[in-house]
Amino acid sequence: MTAADMLARRSPAPWRRTFRRALIPYLFLAPFFITFLAFWLGPIIASFLYSFTDWRGVLDAQFVGTANYERIYNDPRFWLALRNTAFYGLVYVTLLNVLALALALALDSTWLRFKNGLKIGFFLPVTISLVVAAVIFEMVFANGVGLLNIILGALGLPQPDWLGDPQVAIWSIIILRIWRALGYYAVIYFAGLQAIPSDVKEAARLDGCRPWQVTWYMTLPLLKPVILFGVIMSTIWALELFDEPWVLTKGGPADSTLTIVIYLYQAGFQYIELGYAAAVSYVLTFLIVVAAIVQKLLIGREQQ
Amino acid sequence: MTMQVMNPTESRVGAATRSMPLASYFGTLLMLALLAIVMTPVLWAVLSAFKTRSDIFAGDVWPRNWSTESFRDLLSKTLYVRWMVNSLFVAFCSTALGLFFCSLGGYAFAKFDFPGKTFLFWVVIASVSIPPFTTVIPLFGWLARLGLLDTYLVLILPFAANAFGIFLMRQYAMGVPNELLDAGRIDGCGEFRLYWSVVLPLLRPALGTVGILIFIASWNSYIWPLVMMRSDQMLTLPVGVASLKGDQLPEYGMLMAASVLSSLPIILAFFAMQRQFIAGLTQGAVK
Repeated sequence: MTAADMLARRSPAPWRRTFRRALIPYLFLAPFFITFLAFWLGPIIASFLYSFTDWRGVLDAQFVGTANYERIYNDPRFWLALRNTAFYGLVYVTLLNVLALALALALDSTWLRFKNGLKIGFFLPVTISLVVAAVIFEMVFANGVGLLNIILGALGLPQPDWLGDPQVAIWSIIILRIWRALGYYAVIYFAGLQAIPSDVKEAARLDGCRPWQVTWYMTLPLLKPVILFGVIMSTIWALELFDEPWVLTKGGPADSTLTIVIYLYQAGFQYIELGYAAAVSYVLTFLIVVAAIVQKLLIGREQQ
Repeated sequence: MTMQVMNPTESRVGAATRSMPLASYFGTLLMLALLAIVMTPVLWAVLSAFKTRSDIFAGDVWPRNWSTESFRDLLSKTLYVRWMVNSLFVAFCSTALGLFFCSLGGYAFAKFDFPGKTFLFWVVIASVSIPPFTTVIPLFGWLARLGLLDTYLVLILPFAANAFGIFLMRQYAMGVPNELLDAGRIDGCGEFRLYWSVVLPLLRPALGTVGILIFIASWNSYIWPLVMMRSDQMLTLPVGVASLKGDQLPEYGMLMAASVLSSLPIILAFFAMQRQFIAGLTQGAVK
């Protein structure tokens, strides 16, 4: 008797068995997809539809066409939020990825000692939640009791008001964010470097390339897909900046750390203009997608 | 390759090796200095947590007298313990539920053929690129109407459906040998039992990675509980700790005590299982 015969004998009605077998993958996917639909996919689609209404949560939504998008376009405060976010993003993404890449190259080098300990040490801030990191940095940036100004004061240097000066506050946020994210991106780049076969580098070295030439002409071009990933991911995080400035400065002083998501949060959950906030969220989604495409073209193009 | 090329190269390699100790020494020293800078804020927070109020405002680096006053205040005057319990409970539930959802679904994606498979998978992947703030807005309106704000359910369910989680589970489940599944079926094993007692144990490495991914996502989330939780008793740690900041002059000692206590469980877990931790937090990067 073959296995198929045994299976056939076991089931009373073959068609029912077939039907049940066809149903099984859907049953297995159901718990995930029901939750996913309720908390992710459904709201994502609903948000788009609500962005064309004046929905305020309590009353029923009225269709208002593109009025929300026009209002965003005409609000100078939105443009300020966009400018802040763009400036912050540009500085943050550049500094972070350059530093992380340098750190990863050092971790991957032959000359460094205590590699594993250093890797774990640099990764440690990543395990601290964004909000707690922001609270800790309150104690670094604060006037009078903050570590930074205690050190600067002891050295006889000027002590800026790190969180209270509109010119400086955004830089404080940048420092905090790089501190928190550096280890994460360094580990990603490090993993990418480890994935490059060492005989490629060895061959270049034996052909007489100097170490910096190996890095510049061999390692970095081979790492390009990972760099692209790092740049796109950090850009997405930069455009979605909320936790740290909200905890530290609430977007102030004088809106100098106002980001798009803080603008969205205030519209949606302080003024309960949900339809308008939904429109802001779709403008943000659009910006994220455009940024990702542009970066893919810029970095990906040289790959050929 | 000729000998003429080989010889000068070899001598250069030799020179590099000879100069190594000095470069290695200074390079390592530089990196250690950098690490010290990175660690300073954490150490500063720990030191400040053990200072008295007057020590903090005196601007001393080292506590003059070590005091647990900040910790005692934190535990007795605030709802900190409750927030910690909330955060742990919610994160554990999200993780358990998420591991079940993602492994079951990932296995279905990996080992079954069914109409709509490609479409469903594509939908999950595409959703990753939508900022999470997009979902908060309609959900706030709906849940408020349903009277579901301020419930644990709202803090648990969204994190259980982790798109990255089901993707990683699918990758792992594809490696489960078909022969093993067929053998189980021939032995008369039901499909769910097959998943539970054959597939799930084989997915263990992925369970660790995805578990950490979901746990940390829940533990760190801020805007979600900030919007959805209304009463002080229902706050999670990030929202609670941030609320301690208040509007006037902050209680720095208490804030630092809260930061240290909040980070401790995760840092300990990180040291206990560095490999899974780093994998869990950076998965998706190197594919």
